[in-house]
Amino acid sequence: MRLTIRISIAAVTVLFAAQLFGAAFAPGNRIVREFPIDPAGSIWIENPFGTVEVIGGEGKLVSVTADRVITAPDAASMKDAADSVGIDFKGDTKALLMWTVFPPAHNARWNVAVNYVVRVPRGVSVKVDSKLAEHIRVSHLSGGVTINGFAGTVILDDVAGASSISMVNGRIVYDYAQRPVSKAVVQAVNADIDIYLPPNSSFDWIANTINGDILTTFPVRGGRFSGTIFHGTVGSGGPTIDTTTMMGRILVQAKGTKLSQAQSVRVNQASHQPVPGDVLLQPPVKIQLPFVNGDFNSAASVADVTISEVRGNAHIVFGAGRVELGAVYGQCNVTSMGGPLNLGDIIGALFAHTGAGDIYVRVARMGGQVTTDGGTIRVIVAGGPMTLRSGGGDIIVRQASAAIDAETTSGDVTLTADPKQKTLKATARTLQGNIILNVSPHFAADIDATILTSDPDVNEMHIDFNGISVRREQVGNKTRIHATGKINGGGERVELYAEEGDIHISAHTITPIKVASPKR
Amino acid sequence: MPDCDAMRENMPLLLTESLDPVQRELTHQHIETCPACTRDWSSYKETWRMLDSLPELEVPARVKQRFLAGIAPELAETNVVPFHRGRAVRWLAQAAAIVIVGGSAFYAGHRVAPRVQLNPTEARVSGVQQLVPAAAYSIAESRVLPAASISPQIEGRPDIQNVQFTDATPSNDQIGVSFDITSHVTVTGHPTDKSMVSLLRYVLENEDRESPSRSRAIDWVRSTYSRVDKPAPEIIDALANVLRNDQHQGVRIKAADTLQSLRSAMTDSTRDALVEALKNDPNPAVRIKAVEALAKLARSGAPLDPGMVDMLRQKASQGDENVYVRVKAAEALSSIQPR
Repeated sequence: MRLTIRISIAAVTVLFAAQLFGAAFAPGNRIVREFPIDPAGSIWIENPFGTVEVIGGEGKLVSVTADRVITAPDAASMKDAADSVGIDFKGDTKALLMWTVFPPAHNARWNVAVNYVVRVPRGVSVKVDSKLAEHIRVSHLSGGVTINGFAGTVILDDVAGASSISMVNGRIVYDYAQRPVSKAVVQAVNADIDIYLPPNSSFDWIANTINGDILTTFPVRGGRFSGTIFHGTVGSGGPTIDTTTMMGRILVQAKGTKLSQAQSVRVNQASHQPVPGDVLLQPPVKIQLPFVNGDFNSAASVADVTISEVRGNAHIVFGAGRVELGAVYGQCNVTSMGGPLNLGDIIGALFAHTGAGDIYVRVARMGGQVTTDGGTIRVIVAGGPMTLRSGGGDIIVRQASAAIDAETTSGDVTLTADPKQKTLKATARTLQGNIILNVSPHFAADIDATILTSDPDVNEMHIDFNGISVRREQVGNKTRIHATGKINGGGERVELYAEEGDIHISAHTITPIKVASPKR
Repeated sequence: MPDCDAMRENMPLLLTESLDPVQRELTHQHIETCPACTRDWSSYKETWRMLDSLPELEVPARVKQRFLAGIAPELAETNVVPFHRGRAVRWLAQAAAIVIVGGSAFYAGHRVAPRVQLNPTEARVSGVQQLVPAAAYSIAESRVLPAASISPQIEGRPDIQNVQFTDATPSNDQIGVSFDITSHVTVTGHPTDKSMVSLLRYVLENEDRESPSRSRAIDWVRSTYSRVDKPAPEIIDALANVLRNDQHQGVRIKAADTLQSLRSAMTDSTRDALVEALKNDPNPAVRIKAVEALAKLARSGAPLDPGMVDMLRQKASQGDENVYVRVKAAEALSSIQPR
């Protein structure tokens, strides 16, 4: 018995000495603890749900107050939540880790948030991990700060040490009490970033956003853009403040100035050499209009545009976005670095390009050029000659009334000739896929069709016309199947080339697609 | 071919095992190498088998008289007291019948279309219908069927190729005919029928087939199952596999598009496929559709695993990624509520 008591006492003593002990909230919802810490030690706080406040001060103690807030519909759920969520502490005077312990999976009927207030010696380093917090505030610290969270407002107030903040949603506010002396990296996806500094600050500034603006009340020297990334110097330069947010706004404001005085650095300098990516420096737009009486011109970094009718020319340049135009009476020129294009009745010449995404064109009366770096191209009626290019994806033309030149890196090409056309010039190439050419039985052309395949038993040439001679030859480890000849006496040249696919020239009765006259 | 004529003459004797060993071996060797004789030999054996299965009936006197008059006129004139046939006589009759049937078939085969038509007796046909229960039609790569389960009626002109004849156990009377057959099958049923789901899954995942058929299958699946509240998980998984594995970029784009459009609870496999496509697919259109599908999932409030959230976060911040993909990833992240 005596031995047992001795061992127990020894164990408790060791635990206390090593600062290793967990804590449960029961019977109350508050935990208060104190731990000794070195003035240059570090503290890690992992709290998935709930606010975290870390306040620097004097002394050699870490003081933790944690309040647990349970939301549950009934007593049983409340008890389940209370029994399931606790706090654990680990570490020593060099490093102290505290984290909220959640069960791996819990009843969705209850939610628990734990709100921490942690008072620490000013010089310690602090690291906070969070998922959802109303706010995470770190203040009066000279040590380093690292915050990694998903959603919530992060406030750094009087933090002099190096800092690294990474959030997804919410807002980041960085309030410098003194001139910056350490590097700061502030990154977000959807959050706005506001940084307030003394007016006499000197630092190197990097800012990067796609959807938002970059504003400052400081005079910035040597501002330049590299893509969407802005580099500039404030004062005589100094530590780097790196601010990046994908969809949010970046504000760097001198204390004592007003927000209304802030200017966008996106206004290009006179010395700036224009590059295609400059469109990303334009402000984003969201346009939804029934019609535009005249020409429509728009350039934006990120945009979503839906216009039923443009009664003039349309000229659109977007960094990214979805474009939907019902009808364009004049020329239509749409360039997007990414996003699907949906174009209706284009009466003038068409030029459409997207860096990524599908392109749908209902009617291209005068034809034109349609290209995507990756995506499906679908043209219902090609009234004029068209050039179609896809970096990968199918190309489909439901009715071609004029010459077609279609090429895809990987995908099928399906062309249907207007049955009213006796002959039609067509070029189709796919580096991986099939080509299907649908024509009426009286269609006339000079056919030159080639298949290059590593499996000639699978890939075949199907031509529903007589008068075509087919040759096979070995080219390296592949077989080339080459069909040439005139159908129905010959006509325009039809050149088809497919790798690792079939070629079908299919003759059948085709019902022409009727195109209504535009209402002017 | 002169050999063939001689061999055909040997066939009845081969059937009755009356051929000497040397001739028997030669005849077998020839049959194995000559497709025409192979066909004839099959006909002989089938006829022989059928004859053997016929009930023993008393031959009417006038038929017997005519038969004997045909083969041996002197016998017909002899006044012989009739008696029941012994076994040897029966074999002789069978051999004679073989000669007649085989000879007639051979003769007809040279003058009319080369089509062998067997006319089974009524008794046999009704026996097949009664004894063999209607089994589920299974679509299989290879099947072994007892002859009794095959309808004697061959419908249309099925394309039968790669015919081989087997006799795994020569000691018994069972033989085998194996062949590839191409026939057009139409399966009808509700989109949620298990068989229909399995069949569609097979079509979707059968990458050996040319892409137009798979493209059409995906289009069809999309239009059909977008009307169904909960498409079968097998269909969703099949589309996920296409998205993950298909070499053809046009097909992958369609698969991603269809996954996005279907109203269904996403399986883990589908999520993994979408995350993998977003991460690795070289085609930006596939990545766009993958990120849009994940964004849709996020908007629906479905729980997202940390790997998926990390991937969206990585894509939103990835400088060399297409801007539209980044924007969509950011939009997806904005609608996620951590749990």
